Amino acid sequence: MTPARSNPLPLEGIRVLDLGQFIAIPFCTLWLAWLGAEVVVVESRRRMTSRTAPPFAKGHEKQPDASGYFNQLYSSKKSCTVDMTTAGGRDIVRRLAGVCDVMVDNFSTGVLEKLGLGYESVAELNPSIVMLSNGAFGRVGPMRNARGLHSAVNLFSGVADVTGYADGHPRILGGVLPDPLSGTYSGFAILAAIHHRQRTGQGQFIDVAMHEAMLTLIPEAVIDLTMNDVEPQRIGNRDRVNAPHGIYRCRGDDSWVAISVTDETGWGNLCRAICHAELLDDPRFVSLEARRSNVGALDLAIEAWSRTQDVHAATDLLQRAGVPAGPVLRVDEMLNNEQLNARGGVVTIDHPVAGPRRQMGLPWNMDSLGVEYRRAPLLGEHTREILTGLLGVSEADYARLEADGVLA
Amino acid sequence: MSSQTQPTAQGPLAGVTVVELGDSTAGPYAAKLFGDFGADVIKVEGPAGDSTRRRGPFPAGLPDPEASGLFMYLNINKLGVVLDLAKPQDQAAMHRLLARADIFISNLPAMQLDACDLGAKTLRSRHPRLIVTTISPFGADGPWAGKLGDELVTYAMGGIAYSTPGMPDAADDLVKEPPLHPACFVAETIAGIVAAEATMAALIGRGRTNQGCHVELSEQAAMAAMQIRDVTNASYVGSHYNRLLNPVTIGRMPNFYLPCKDGYVTVAAPMEIHWERLTQTMGNPAWAQSELYSTEAARTANWITLRLNLIDWTITLSSDELHAFGEKSQLPIFPFYSIRKMADSDHSRVRGTLAEVEIGGRLARMPAAPFQMRETPWGLRRPAPRLGEHSAGILAEGLVT
Repeated sequence: MTPARSNPLPLEGIRVLDLGQFIAIPFCTLWLAWLGAEVVVVESRRRMTSRTAPPFAKGHEKQPDASGYFNQLYSSKKSCTVDMTTAGGRDIVRRLAGVCDVMVDNFSTGVLEKLGLGYESVAELNPSIVMLSNGAFGRVGPMRNARGLHSAVNLFSGVADVTGYADGHPRILGGVLPDPLSGTYSGFAILAAIHHRQRTGQGQFIDVAMHEAMLTLIPEAVIDLTMNDVEPQRIGNRDRVNAPHGIYRCRGDDSWVAISVTDETGWGNLCRAICHAELLDDPRFVSLEARRSNVGALDLAIEAWSRTQDVHAATDLLQRAGVPAGPVLRVDEMLNNEQLNARGGVVTIDHPVAGPRRQMGLPWNMDSLGVEYRRAPLLGEHTREILTGLLGVSEADYARLEADGVLA
Repeated sequence: MSSQTQPTAQGPLAGVTVVELGDSTAGPYAAKLFGDFGADVIKVEGPAGDSTRRRGPFPAGLPDPEASGLFMYLNINKLGVVLDLAKPQDQAAMHRLLARADIFISNLPAMQLDACDLGAKTLRSRHPRLIVTTISPFGADGPWAGKLGDELVTYAMGGIAYSTPGMPDAADDLVKEPPLHPACFVAETIAGIVAAEATMAALIGRGRTNQGCHVELSEQAAMAAMQIRDVTNASYVGSHYNRLLNPVTIGRMPNFYLPCKDGYVTVAAPMEIHWERLTQTMGNPAWAQSELYSTEAARTANWITLRLNLIDWTITLSSDELHAFGEKSQLPIFPFYSIRKMADSDHSRVRGTLAEVEIGGRLARMPAAPFQMRETPWGLRRPAPRLGEHSAGILAEGLVT
């Protein structure tokens, strides 16, 4: 691939007003910023969320420019400090909304309206703006005000109903998937709305509910339940159709290999590769139906082999034999993963306070368009540029706003 | 199809033409998002059809390639064409379709695309304005480019399996509770969503460059990108989450996932003010006044007994009672909802979270819009195509062009 930087950025010329917090919206605008959008983040020293959150660069604990949480989610964005609890601050944010193509938030339902920044007010100044709100349960419906951490979203969405060990209770996914997942849907929604606006001039409001984003992961279970009255099942790492399909223990501490066989050829390849060709003649495993019926014994037979193996050696052996297999990676192993690194998918971004740090870049490459990974802004780094440049505030007025604490 | 799902306005992507050569979930889901929001999507299948046609779930469990629930979900709002791409004349027909298209989306192996003259390089040179989006397990280059991967393997290599069950849930035993994959297509669906966003960015970019683009996506990388919180911790302080409940990774206690009378519930009260509200909600039990729990630090240090004490309380209450307590006390107390309970909830009904479809003569519900656009709403315009349903019309038209 051509070096990304030399190519035009796909979203250059699109300006986004980012009132996001936590992860979902900052994650959405992170990708837009990397793709060339100008993302203006409104934050305030009086109300900092991400910048006060750990982890911090060692020796810089609690410093607002040293939070990894902030620095990794706000790469390539601009920081404009405005105190929205002041009337002057709200006025500045309204003026910013007037000159942006997109505005995004994930406050609790009703907060923007109280600030006079709800869609109806903003659309009066800027009718073609695309505004997107992301919330745990969305902006419409009886649960619109309900509090929802990622775990609540997970538990409401139905995903937990198909997450669990065989015949065990519902479990919660690791990470904070509802946030980046709904953030990605938000990105697609914004770009679709921009496409529509480019054709028609029409702006609009978009409502993203995190639980609906999660729901899109489980169509099979939803359809089987509503069509056939079949209750969702928790089946560990097994598949409803194919077997073997599992995560098997390897030699060493908490080390595991994922193995997935989808046809008879794959099953034959697996048995021969692990030197247990006798399994091919075992009546319990002779067909897919037989393997499904005896899946407990099947998994034990595979694990009897895998637990004596190094995970990477086992992966290589199976891959060479034509069996889909791979190691279960911890996040630190993922950062060092040769494949992700070879694709340029792990990027190192330098920062004057936190130093060079690695994170995942965009998970795709483009041959004719570019991506730009720049460091996160220091607190308030772009306030002057945005007010005096973009909004045309005079130096005298800027000084007055600063003195009045509006830009704190 | 019920009348409520008929769109009243065009989708935001009306006028965009997508040709999909996909199988299973990732490619078809990316194309579905375009079709759901108004693009004309032509799904090209081989003579045997998409493998999802054979997976179900089927009405009453009876296999029928024209009544697969998952196929219906993934392929609504598309037109369907059958081409045998081993044949040169069908390859030519494919190129005629692509000559009129804006976007090509495929998750077939690169070798298979190359073999039928549809490799990314060929497409980019023959159709210079085409956005060519390819999705593969590990990407088109790098040492794992040719390796075999699928939903389970890319999920495992994308970092989330290792830490599932995850906070506030946790494993009791790392051996008996291995890294966990949910029984659904997480990695493939996420690859599809990311591919859709990437493709939209390229389409907008084309408006400026007047050039097509190869959007080349790795399913493993898409999963890995979703792990941003955990990656940041690894990158800044070298820590990682495993599946054990551990105050070092989980933070202040209580923050638990606990059994209750009829289900499971999360209970979090990390700060002093939350703890006061929680003890009030519990009716100020004597145990909560113990020295063991007198400060944030003490509660975190003594989390093992704290958890047991809290279970003694939650186990006497139903999910609904606990949820109501959470609402009343403004605490993050939230119960597990079964799919049935979620689907039947007032919230889902009011939002139109699920849409009704007919599959093989039976009514079913499936996830509707993943987000709600006020001016250009999601709509169910047509059911998934029968195998080759639109071949005659579309290909004949293609021959004329």
